[in-house]
Amino acid sequence: MAERTGHRGYIGARPLNGSRTPQHVQNIVIRDYARRKNLQYLLSAAEHTMPGSYMVLEDILDELPQLLGLILYSIFMLPPDEARRREIYDRVLREGCDLHAAVEEITLASRKDIQTIEDILLVNKYATIL
Amino acid sequence: MTDTDFLQADEQALAQRFIDDGFVTTPSDDRAGLDRIQRRAAELAADYLKLPHSNDPYAMLDTIHTRVGVGDLNGLRLHVFNGLNAEPWFRPTYFRLARSTIETIVGNELCMQRRVNLSIQMPGDDSSLLATHSDVWSGDSPFEVVVWVPLVDVHRTKAMYLLPPSVNGEMQDRMAELRSAEELYRTIKPHATFIEIPYGHVMLFNQTLMHGNRVNEEPGTRWSMNCRFKSIMSPYADKRFGEFFEPILLRPATRVGMQYKLPGGFHG
Repeated sequence: MAERTGHRGYIGARPLNGSRTPQHVQNIVIRDYARRKNLQYLLSAAEHTMPGSYMVLEDILDELPQLLGLILYSIFMLPPDEARRREIYDRVLREGCDLHAAVEEITLASRKDIQTIEDILLVNKYATIL
Repeated sequence: MTDTDFLQADEQALAQRFIDDGFVTTPSDDRAGLDRIQRRAAELAADYLKLPHSNDPYAMLDTIHTRVGVGDLNGLRLHVFNGLNAEPWFRPTYFRLARSTIETIVGNELCMQRRVNLSIQMPGDDSSLLATHSDVWSGDSPFEVVVWVPLVDVHRTKAMYLLPPSVNGEMQDRMAELRSAEELYRTIKPHATFIEIPYGHVMLFNQTLMHGNRVNEEPGTRWSMNCRFKSIMSPYADKRFGEFFEPILLRPATRVGMQYKLPGGFHG
């Protein structure tokens, strides 16, 4: 098997929670996160702007056998469908990789980390920050 | 389209080629400027690799894979990218390489991407590929064009591929059924064209069309630059004015218009 290298960045062109962050700023946040966590940052892939497209994320998941993991700009870039998210967690862990979210400073490295992420996503879905 | 007497015959022909094929290639308007960029890129590469400057910048770039490994490729790329973009003459020169074509296809009040991108594709390297995409899918405006300039001759897999306008829409309509960009490439592969561009020529292409590149199976390394231009008053998408684009040509009538205020003080 080829040697695994680094963590692939994942940024997007769609607003998150109604806010927009320029793509170069998303990359700065990911790069800074990788530096602070001693992760080797690999150039980010940008998700399509079409709502509901996760093609670029799927490409990164296909790439996992060559990676140590991936760094999302935000946990809110994950698909809104819980079953689809759980498939993603399973693939990441099955490949021996980890998943990071730079803005929230969250790491998913084992099954016990899943609930933390799901709690944030679910609360965000129902609660409103004034 | 362009059935207008307001354009000259050569402009009409160029515009029609762009519409029909999705791209145009032409000899650079400023060959000396292109040679200067090529020479500076080779010097920066030599500096990074701690080698003497070469008298043959083309050969230096084309054979760079004999001097650098894949692991150090991005470091080299960033060094040359930052070095070129730091040169005050670089972006104006880049614009001049294709000025007449840009003005025919886009217009003459323009904004330009703030940093000109650089790609290096060494033979057999799969570490820096661009999957099938349209720039619009990642936040570019459909009103933009890309000026793509190779620093060496490119052909077959050493070049980039583009899907012709005649099939792009049909393929795009099938896209939501596909899972990944690789699957998308397999779908469009029979229709995609690798564009041959000799050094000294530039390409301007329609970035709403699907394009990308594959592993370079030719013996030489591809060096290419790309930069987006758009009409300054046309709609923007996620790549915003100010943060991604900056104005390079704004005409006096537009400046006057933007500053004009109608007389006030009426209370009728």
